[in-house]
Amino acid sequence: MMDHARYRMLIVSDPRSADPELREHRESCQECSLYTEGLLRFESRLERALKVDMPIRAGVPPFASKTSRRPAVRSWNRMAIAASILLCLVVAGGLWLALPGTSLAAAVVAHVDGEPQAWQRSDVAVPDPRLNAVLRDSKLELAPSAGTVTYASSCFFRGHYVPHVVVQTDSGPVTVMVLVHESVRKPLQFDEHGYRGTIVPMPGHGSIAVLMRGPGTDREEIERIAAQVRNAIVWTP
Amino acid sequence: MNDEVGGNHRRARFQALCQSLRPELLRFAFWLSRDSALAEDVVQESMLRAWKAQDSLLDEGAAKPWLLTIIRREYARTFERKRFVTVDVDELVASEEATLAASAEQDLGELRAALFKLPDEYREPLVLQVLMGYTTAEIARELNLSGAAVLTRLCRARKRLRAMCGEDTSLDTPE
Repeated sequence: MMDHARYRMLIVSDPRSADPELREHRESCQECSLYTEGLLRFESRLERALKVDMPIRAGVPPFASKTSRRPAVRSWNRMAIAASILLCLVVAGGLWLALPGTSLAAAVVAHVDGEPQAWQRSDVAVPDPRLNAVLRDSKLELAPSAGTVTYASSCFFRGHYVPHVVVQTDSGPVTVMVLVHESVRKPLQFDEHGYRGTIVPMPGHGSIAVLMRGPGTDREEIERIAAQVRNAIVWTP
Repeated sequence: MNDEVGGNHRRARFQALCQSLRPELLRFAFWLSRDSALAEDVVQESMLRAWKAQDSLLDEGAAKPWLLTIIRREYARTFERKRFVTVDVDELVASEEATLAASAEQDLGELRAALFKLPDEYREPLVLQVLMGYTTAEIARELNLSGAAVLTRLCRARKRLRAMCGEDTSLDTPE
């Protein structure tokens, strides 16, 4: 049987570890269980702290050699650069409006791809207060039938904070994003960059995105899990 | 002709792949260097090296760790080329204030400043684990350390961070 000191040393090293030996100790020791909850709260903050928004330097081709850290721009071509940026914005805006569903799916994929730590297989459930805090702002709760939630974060997505949770299933971790500000007319399936998922309408409440990753993901399984999560959502006043 | 078309297609795919990974790599380089301008330069040079060496990437699924290794090496080269002046961490935090404060959550600023104060040997494995999703074994391989050494560093990194952020560390095991 693992002792407290060994458990705490290992759990501090990896608070989201799914090691069965660690789980066994945690379940038999209330003090270590509380200690772990504190660590997980801190871990969630740490994950968000590391995700800094990096300013993207405009106008640098992806494979160009660097010239200088802050390239000097001649005054006479500033207008040309501004015009190019404006043109790009107009074109991008047009595409965005023309393909709202595709843009939304791409944004969801880009977001979850930026949070690799969320995809870990784990059986350590997010403490209820933490989960409720993440869901509260979107005025919803999640019934236990959704499955074990091992990751919960309030993420800034397309201008709003939205709940981003990961539910563990027999088929592996499944990401759910509740997009109360994003409406879709009909279910939208997507398969991009190794992620496969669906965005389903939630009449009166925007939509939810449900996705899995990896080549073994099955479309029917995703639809089944999406329905399961959808049924587990309880909207609160 | 077909070879040329195939080559163009392959290059376009590679370029798209690198572009999609760029934000994440930039973030990693930032935490490595604690300097957003240097991070941009390192990532830019790394992309160029990756472009030249793209034939050595046999599996697209392994692109991220492959690029990450290139970035670590490029950063080390930058370090060898330049004589860095010792900088006070508080000055570093102040110089990156805009990046560190770009969050709606106030308490994250304190944690980010604490991350800046962590020694490199603790910050790097922590970033690999939490931000990049690396396992202990993968970190050990990347940093050329034993698994036990990685666990020790991760443990110390979190203990120091929690202490710096005023968390209750009374139940922590002594080092």
